[in-house]
Order: sequence, then C-alpha cells, then structure tokens
Amino acid sequence: MLSLEFTIKQCVAWGGGLTTTQDWQSYAKGEKILSDSQELPALKQIPAMQRRRLSPFAKLALHCALNAADECLTTVPSVFASRHGDLAKTSKLISDVAAKEVLSPTQFGLSVHNAVGGLFSIYTDNKAPLTAVSAGEDTFFTAVVDALCKMSANEYSQILVVFTETVVPEIYQEYIAQDEVNIACALLLAPAGQSNETYSLTVQANKAEIPTETQQMQVLDFLNFYHSNSEDSEISSKRHLWKLSRAINV
Amino acid sequence: MNELIEEVKQLIIDTLDLEDIEPADIDYEDALFVDGLGLDSIDALELGVAIKKAFDVKIDNNSDDSKKHFYSVKTLCEFIAASRN
Repeated sequence: MLSLEFTIKQCVAWGGGLTTTQDWQSYAKGEKILSDSQELPALKQIPAMQRRRLSPFAKLALHCALNAADECLTTVPSVFASRHGDLAKTSKLISDVAAKEVLSPTQFGLSVHNAVGGLFSIYTDNKAPLTAVSAGEDTFFTAVVDALCKMSANEYSQILVVFTETVVPEIYQEYIAQDEVNIACALLLAPAGQSNETYSLTVQANKAEIPTETQQMQVLDFLNFYHSNSEDSEISSKRHLWKLSRAINV
Repeated sequence: MNELIEEVKQLIIDTLDLEDIEPADIDYEDALFVDGLGLDSIDALELGVAIKKAFDVKIDNNSDDSKKHFYSVKTLCEFIAASRN
C-alpha cells in the first residue's frame, strides 16, 4: 500500500457547465448537477494569433493550468494527464490517413499526448520538467501519485497536475463504459504542512472483482470530495482502491 | 482574377482559423508572414497544403521561388493563375 501526504494550494476546474469554485461547491452539496454544456473558457491571457490553434481540449486544459499556477507559471514542474488525449484531433488525422488525404501540419504537430503540456510551456516560457500521463480509468489519481513522487524525489516546493478529458468521438463511443463529460481540473500541490489542511492519498490493489469500469470519472469523485465537508472518501476502480482523506493540522 | 483573390483570402482565413479577420482586412500586396498579417512558419506549411488541395498546384517546399510565391495574396494569386495555364 502506498500512502502520500500533501497540501492542495489551488484547485481550478471547468466542465459540464460548472466553471467557478462556487459552482463546484454547489455541485458537492448536490445543488447543481453536470450538464452537457460545451461552454469553453475565453482564455484572454493568450494572444488571439496563438489562441486560434487551440482545440476545445487545449482550451480547457490551459484555462485550468494558467489559473491554478498563477503564482509560479514560469517555474512550476508539471504533470499533464488524460485518458484519451485530444482524441477528436487524433481520430480526424487517422481518418485523413485512411482516406489518403494530406495531413494538416498544425493538427499533426498538436496530436501527441504531451502537446498541451508543450503549449503550456511555450506560453509561459516554463522550462521545468513536464510529463504526460495516461492510465485508463485511474488516470486522475495516477497523475497525482506521479506528481507527488516527483515532488518528493526532487524536493520541489510545488508541482502542477492538469487533468483533461473530452467526450470521445462517435466512432469510439461503443468502447466507453464511463459517463463522460468535457472537463479539465488543475491542482497546485505542495508538501504537507504548507497550509492548515493536509490531504492524504492511499492506494492498494482492489481485491473485489469488479467486472466493469466505474460509471463516474475519478476527477468528479475528487472534486466532490474536495469541495465537501467529508473527512474521507473511498474510490474504487477495477484494479485499485483509492482513499482520500484530509485532516486539519494542529 | 478578382474571384481568385477573394477565394485565396477566404482560404487563408478558413485554413488558419483567423478569428475576427474578414477578407477585406487582408491587404492584397502586404506581407502575409511575420510583418503584415503576422503568420508564422506553421501557417506556411498549413497554407501550402490547403493551396495544393484547393487549386491542384505543385509547391516546392524549400525553394526560394516558393518564398516569393507566398509573400502576399497578390504573389499567391499570380502563382496559382500561372500554374493553371
């Protein structure tokens, strides 16, 4: 069993029609529910000539990343995570290959899994280490584990986690068991003891035989817990049992 | 030629996702890249692909001639018109 303690300095999320901290607090209280809203952040920080190349996926990710890491944009190391990546873009390219069309150089250049992390580092002139993670239905918490381990091993004072997922294109829908929503969530994490609240995340193998994936995306389990008053929460997936808890430092 | 000019301007806007720019905003003789409209090297590649597709013309990616052809809407239109003949 792995157990990690940390501080959450910032949590910014956008998706399913919920765009502000107040919205997510209402969501955790059950006063607001997710919609299939396609509303995207305006991202006015980025000049129009650069913004025009951003897909909905990139806009969601960058909005959350830029706001969560506002105080340390040029220096913070980061972990960008997504289960399927910018699949709308990738599947269009694959269709073009199949139809023997010439590929769009812009789309091709932005189709790799770490493309959004690359855009973030270009816009912010951030040269800190950056990784891109994909880990099935456990992607969100795996990214947090990756970030916390990197922070510990390298003695970083903080690290940014950016999770993004968009609804997969029609052609792949039959393979998806989870309820999907277009969403991004960025967390600025720091070692435990930097605020009066310490979070812990533990993970162990899930021995219960769960035949299918869990219906709800882990990022929503997390946001629900983060904005609630609960002291702990258990989230199970096919392979893992995750436990989140928080304690007030005394 | 006027029809071709409008077609090329619209192609530039659509291909490069130039939000908030109208065909009338693109000067006929001004530079498309760096100065003028402010397009960059990725735009050049993208525009090359789009023009090949739309007008069925051959473009040599690295030749000095290509640079001249891609200088402005005017040079692009002259190049397309000449290639078609």
